[in-house]
Amino acid sequence: MRPAIAQYYPGDSVIHRLDARAKFVSVTAVAVALFLRDSFAGLAVFAVAAAVAYMLSGVPAVWFWRGFRPLLWLIALTFLTQLLFAPGEPFFSWWVFDFSWQGLRFASFLSLRLLVLVLAGSVLTLTTAPLALTDGLAWLGRPLRRLRVPTDELALMVTIALRFIPTLLVELEQIMRAQRARGADFSHGGPIRRGKALLPVLIPLFVLSFRRADELALAMEARCYRPGVVRSRLHPLHVDAADAVLLALTAAVIAVGLIV
Amino acid sequence: MSATDGMSLRCEGLGFSYEEAGVPIPALRDVGVELPAGRSLALLGASGSGKSTLLQLIKGLDAPETGRVVLDGCAPDSPGYAGLQREVGIVFQAPELQLFATSAWEDVAFGPRRLGREEAGVRRAVDEAMALVGLPPEEFAARHPYALSGGEQRRLALAGVLAMQPRLLLLDEPFVSLDPATRRQLTAVCSRLRASGVTLVLATHDVDIAWTLCDDLLVLEEGRVLASGVWDAEGSGRALRSTPRLREPFLVALWRRLGRDPARAPRTHAEAAEALR
Repeated sequence: MRPAIAQYYPGDSVIHRLDARAKFVSVTAVAVALFLRDSFAGLAVFAVAAAVAYMLSGVPAVWFWRGFRPLLWLIALTFLTQLLFAPGEPFFSWWVFDFSWQGLRFASFLSLRLLVLVLAGSVLTLTTAPLALTDGLAWLGRPLRRLRVPTDELALMVTIALRFIPTLLVELEQIMRAQRARGADFSHGGPIRRGKALLPVLIPLFVLSFRRADELALAMEARCYRPGVVRSRLHPLHVDAADAVLLALTAAVIAVGLIV
Repeated sequence: MSATDGMSLRCEGLGFSYEEAGVPIPALRDVGVELPAGRSLALLGASGSGKSTLLQLIKGLDAPETGRVVLDGCAPDSPGYAGLQREVGIVFQAPELQLFATSAWEDVAFGPRRLGREEAGVRRAVDEAMALVGLPPEEFAARHPYALSGGEQRRLALAGVLAMQPRLLLLDEPFVSLDPATRRQLTAVCSRLRASGVTLVLATHDVDIAWTLCDDLLVLEEGRVLASGVWDAEGSGRALRSTPRLREPFLVALWRRLGRDPARAPRTHAEAAEALR
């Protein structure tokens, strides 16, 4: 299957073995620091740190590229708007647009900042199994339970949703084949016609999903799932020395990045 | 059902593999099929032996990696081939998944409309197909597909394919998870189709139903042909006995136990009763 944004790349690297919570905190802290700092030097520090983490993870660079490619448009758009509309001394004018060195500098800076942000985020999602990530988020969200936010239940919902994406893709493929065999055509015509052509696929897929949700709810109740009860875990999260090192390194990187 | 002239089918050296995590997993290797028009073929084999893949290659939903599918003597590169492919009907495992319209009649009409038939022809084909599968339109036309029982849904989905008036019909495990009554009804539909002249390929685990319905046999094991040809109790029966996950039809085994000639084993319970009386 084609790697997409936020897809997990199974592995056993140093980065893979780190605790999901530590990685999440580290990446979030770097992301916040990225936006606190507006010098190229600071950006370079964070970029090097993220790149080193990515290399340590052993994930092929092409995986980052595939996840990054869909975002290129967003970055190109950011670059263009900043270049055209940022104030500064113009060195070149065309029609209503003024191009300035300040604008060019600012546009490059914002684009690079987005690139580093996506790189840091990729290290987290590519090296952390979705289950571990949701468990970690549920743990980090625990204080919210005092505000009656059902964090564990939300985490379970996310987990179930992730679990069923491949299943639904397989079923989608089967339904599309069956309808294609009945003469359905998904690849011709304008957007409206194509949208209508998808109805014979989407309706069965929805019906199936609702039926499956009903069955899953029954099966979970039959196996004594009760919302609001603390559950035990097959793979408990645990923090060790490596995670402490990660957090210390993160703090150091952020400090250097904010000072230089 | 009005008489149909069935389509002949020949598969030559078909090979296909699926890809899992970048590694190709062979599903079919050098599979040949020879099925004259109007005959019926039982496609037997354990789960994962390649039955469904073979059906999908025949219908043209996937392109074979090696070999070709010849329909009515036409090779894939001949001009009329796409038209012939449209006359191949395929009913998937659990076809009730494909129901989507708001009435049973409309759902069955989807296929023939997509073929570009004029409305009167569509109406005739839909009414005929619904009657054939035992869902008379006067009673079922306006019903919502999802309000039907499981067995009725499956027969409705079958009608949706029959309404396209296929000359070659591929059925993938049509009898799975049906109650005995629905199974009997569906078997009766198949034998009516067979009598009408449609060429039939039936992939199934139910060797007893296949024995009553099919003239020819193709046994697949791990994507290879283990036995093929006319399904007589002796020759091709040996393949069924020697494959650990398959067995002979009950009536053939019974004839063997009774010390009678298994080559003359009856095809139906009625024939068996007649012979034993």
